[in-house]
Amino acid sequence: MAYFIQRLLSMAVTLFLISIITFTVTNILPGDVAMMIMGTQSNPAALANLRENLGLNDPLVYQYGRWIFGMLTGDWGNSLLFKQPIGPIILQKMTASALIVLLSMTIALTLAVPLGVWSAVYKNRWQDTASSSVSILGVSLPDFFWGIMLILLFARALGWFPSSGFVHPNEDFLMALKHAFLPSLALGLGLMAHLTRMTRATMTGILSQEFIRVARAKGLAEKTVIWQYGLANAIGPVMTVAGLQMGYLFGSIIVMESLFNYTGMGWLTYQALLNRDMPLIQATVFVIAAVVMLVNLIVDLLYPFFDPRIQLK
Amino acid sequence: MSIFKKFLNFKGIIGITLVLCVVLIAIFAPLIIPPEFATKMDMRARLSPPNMAHWMGTDQLGRDLFYRVMLGARTSINIATSAVLMSLVIGLPLGLVSGYFGGRTDNVLMRLVDTLLSFPALLLALTISAVLGPNLQNTIIAIGIAFTPYLARLIRGEALRVAQMPYVEAARSSGATNSRLIIGHVLPNIMPVVIVQSTISLAFAILAEAGLSFLGLGTQPPEASWGLMIQASRDYLDRAPWTALVPGTAVALTVLGLNMFGDVLRDVLDPRSQS
Amino acid sequence: MSERNKLSSKLDTQVDDPIVSLDHLRVEFETDGGTVVAVNDISFKVFPGETVCLVGESGSGKSVTSLSLMRLVEFGGGKITGGKMLLARDGKKTANLSEVDVDTMRSIRGNEIGMIFQEPMTSLNPVFSIERQLTDGLRLHTNLSASETREKAIELLEEVRIPDPEKRLRQYPHELSGGMRQRVVIAMAMACRPRLLIADEPTTALDVTIQAEILSLINRLKRETGMAVLFITHDMAVVAQMADRVVVMYQGNLIEEGTVNEIFSAPKEEYTKALLAAVPQLGQMAGTSLPSPLNIPGASATVKPTSGDIGIEKKTLLEVKNLVTRFPVYGGIFRRKVANVHAVENVSFTIDRGETMALVGESGCGKSSCGRSILRLVEPESGQIFLDGKNIISLNGTELRSARRDMQMVFQDPYASLNPYMRLREQIAEPLNNFGLAGRSEVDDIVHDILEKVELPTSFLRRFPHELSGGQRQRVAIARAIVVNPSLVITDEAVSALDVSVQAQVLNLMMSLQDELGLSYLFISHDMAVVERVSHKVGVMYLGRLVEVGSRSQIFENPQHEYTRTLMAAVPIADPKKRNISNDMSFKPIPSPVFPVGHTPENPIYEEIEDGHLILRN
Repeated sequence: MAYFIQRLLSMAVTLFLISIITFTVTNILPGDVAMMIMGTQSNPAALANLRENLGLNDPLVYQYGRWIFGMLTGDWGNSLLFKQPIGPIILQKMTASALIVLLSMTIALTLAVPLGVWSAVYKNRWQDTASSSVSILGVSLPDFFWGIMLILLFARALGWFPSSGFVHPNEDFLMALKHAFLPSLALGLGLMAHLTRMTRATMTGILSQEFIRVARAKGLAEKTVIWQYGLANAIGPVMTVAGLQMGYLFGSIIVMESLFNYTGMGWLTYQALLNRDMPLIQATVFVIAAVVMLVNLIVDLLYPFFDPRIQLK
Repeated sequence: MSIFKKFLNFKGIIGITLVLCVVLIAIFAPLIIPPEFATKMDMRARLSPPNMAHWMGTDQLGRDLFYRVMLGARTSINIATSAVLMSLVIGLPLGLVSGYFGGRTDNVLMRLVDTLLSFPALLLALTISAVLGPNLQNTIIAIGIAFTPYLARLIRGEALRVAQMPYVEAARSSGATNSRLIIGHVLPNIMPVVIVQSTISLAFAILAEAGLSFLGLGTQPPEASWGLMIQASRDYLDRAPWTALVPGTAVALTVLGLNMFGDVLRDVLDPRSQS
Repeated sequence: MSERNKLSSKLDTQVDDPIVSLDHLRVEFETDGGTVVAVNDISFKVFPGETVCLVGESGSGKSVTSLSLMRLVEFGGGKITGGKMLLARDGKKTANLSEVDVDTMRSIRGNEIGMIFQEPMTSLNPVFSIERQLTDGLRLHTNLSASETREKAIELLEEVRIPDPEKRLRQYPHELSGGMRQRVVIAMAMACRPRLLIADEPTTALDVTIQAEILSLINRLKRETGMAVLFITHDMAVVAQMADRVVVMYQGNLIEEGTVNEIFSAPKEEYTKALLAAVPQLGQMAGTSLPSPLNIPGASATVKPTSGDIGIEKKTLLEVKNLVTRFPVYGGIFRRKVANVHAVENVSFTIDRGETMALVGESGCGKSSCGRSILRLVEPESGQIFLDGKNIISLNGTELRSARRDMQMVFQDPYASLNPYMRLREQIAEPLNNFGLAGRSEVDDIVHDILEKVELPTSFLRRFPHELSGGQRQRVAIARAIVVNPSLVITDEAVSALDVSVQAQVLNLMMSLQDELGLSYLFISHDMAVVERVSHKVGVMYLGRLVEVGSRSQIFENPQHEYTRTLMAAVPIADPKKRNISNDMSFKPIPSPVFPVGHTPENPIYEEIEDGHLILRN
């Protein structure tokens, strides 16, 4: 229990730090919200007036206080670009992105774990070389390059999947999956490469441990030794890395969703950044960082279920 | 087994060759190829596929893709190298001091670094670039800042590990000062990891630059960078896929080379990878 | 045939066929540097009910031989390239293990041959319960039902004397101590009543009292079940205690084979003789008062006891008074200090010039922390330390740095105690430069001199540590320590990681340096036999406290404290005629040294039963 409470408290502190970093980074911007609302050619007096009204002349600490209070109480302000309250927009876009993120993580893990284990078992043999070559290639190709190739192949040449757009799962689940599939596959392939390398390294370490030899000395079959004795020890580390890769995924969706015109969080962030929609930038950056942290927290909290040693701490 | 022999496996040869090629192109292409080769527009030859006149085809303005890719190498390499150097300049001393001395400063610093790690690197870089205004210099700053926490974390962990080694204690008990211990003992022993990580960071920086430019928040025209070329190709994917494939392959080969080189470097330099 | 008859009559067993016979076994490893022959040509037999000890130093191929018998060597990249390994099977045809197919081999592993390994801490799968690990062998090799398997598992735990077996089944490995884990591993190996148990250095990683328990356990199980034991070890003392017959290996070859008495009392081969000579034997020094070098054949003929008196008058060099060192344990929600590890608790002793004081005890007793506290590599909580009258505790950073010139340290791990990126010249010269003791031109001369003193060729100066063997590295570490002419050298398990012959050489070097330079040593070690050999004075540590201190002969010939006696009883003696590891030894487990914040231990009360012989009475 102490473990859980400790993690939750630690989360509160991290959230606070995330908000500070978000606020600081977005406030080094030359020019301000008032200028963005009224345009650069506006009347200086009116501009000053608006600044006063928006509280932009207050000390930064006050401005921060106001912002974080709003964020915590659900008043996230209005987007300058969409002229709508930010909260509902983000909620909707988050659902869209969750689909992609989960799908690509599923694709990546299903491929990476067996491949990584296989690679570790046949370390330095042709099987390992083959799988390593595939994964190093995967790490090296930019995501959007994957995206473009997939569009050319599956959308243009074969016509199996749409190359752009988003359908909400509530409207038509199958169509939603179809639209999410190509961007997820593009993200998943790059991610798979990382996870394969990581699984291979973890399994290599595990397979060289004494308890593996002991398991063999008991006469257990090799598949039991590897897929039960070995893999059970790899779940924790692999999950942790998968959690850490959430950060990478949430960065990559910005590119991928823009490429596929998939209107999720990444697309929203991109629009906000392009149009310098300050309240929206602050909110999206804060939410993405918070979600990434949350996912890692969940992984941490799940860890004791996979490794009995953690419970004691 | 000698170090050279270790380098000369399949992966090593490919990695070194690729990296060497890219570096040579980045250095010499602008000296050999007149800049107008890459900027000369030929409206009659717009989006022409690879042919004898244009080995790799042309883009939407009829510019020769081969020359553009050659000249773009310098921009991409420049940005990546500068960004990694920048994150090293900040991250190395920070991680080193934090890991070596430990204590409260270390706690606070690492808490901050951990928080920064919650921000996806690309998101951080994009935001910084958007906020500062996208141009070449700010792209470097954006990528450099975004990479710093990763490097600082890694270096801190290594410094902590090395600082606890008996040879550091032995040196301390034979009268070495803290600065002597850090510079003479800890630094040389974390260098292999730093070098390997820098190589791999270079690969990531190339990817990041491409990503930023692809989104229009990195390098700006008229600079020619690989990311920009891919961005420009987006509207012509159907008619002229080579406009994306040419710069995309350039990025992929460079990153592949750096990753392979990094892997081999790790095998050679990192004592932990040796059994 | 006559050989075997003689042997069996000696063992007082009926004439049997061997369980296994190895016939010209050869094992090779393919490495990047080419083919390495790990086992060149090994032939020996193991008969029912006997313990055969396979003994040798690192690189002798003894472990590879045992792994080959289980055909586990292939998983490490090894290949059996020649010879036969015949296993007699109950009611089945004799199998040649070099050639049997994978399935047959799997039905033999864990069923007909059981095996236990060196590292109890990593021998058990950390994420599976004890029950699962104990029963999966049974489920595989027998047709027992689920409840029968469970009963059998409990029986097995009882057999290896694990208290509370039903509770243990539900536990995970991290909840058990090292000794308990090794018992579980043994229970696992015994599960299907194998006819042969292979034990590969099963006690090397364990403390001496736990070693004694495990050794006696293996002996009892062997007696009760009639199984044969193939026992692999580097430790001649363990061999003397365990073996019926001994096979001595060196660099992949069989050097000598014989009964344990033959090997120990009349070794035929030079290598065996040298190996035995290098082993310090507990009790061997009775009646002497000074340290004495080990008698290494072929080494310099001038083996004489160190004088202990080198012209300087007997004068106290180091005085430690009421030293206390504690390490905080953080925990809870706010990561506050919730407890302290009481590593060193009110320890006092003195060391005279030219004297060796040994600190002995088992892991976690605080002997290392005590040594490091004296150098203030860890900060003591309270107490006083006087080196040559100078109060070390009160020094500030700069003063401490210069005071360390007089006290140097040599660490345990020869591979970690030298900076891998510095040439030996720089390593040895560094202290001189740090203290500004010598000009540029003098440094080279001094470094040359010191290298001669530690008996290394000066051509080594340009080498890097990885080009040296473990023993050579430890010589360099000693050179680095003595180059600044310290009066006190603290050695923390400095010879523990070395092979026994190398250990003897390094010990002799340390003793001759003491003679020559008038050094004082604080010799921290877990090895009672080595301590008896090298020390003038001995302090026994237990749970952070010094429980008994006195001259070497007082401690070894007249141990008074209960714990000192326990230690003495548990140390295997390197003489098969003095077997002290008897039936089912069991010692009180060492309690935890962790106490809540604010815990104040009572002040120690010592009784001086003889001049300088103090015993803790509370």
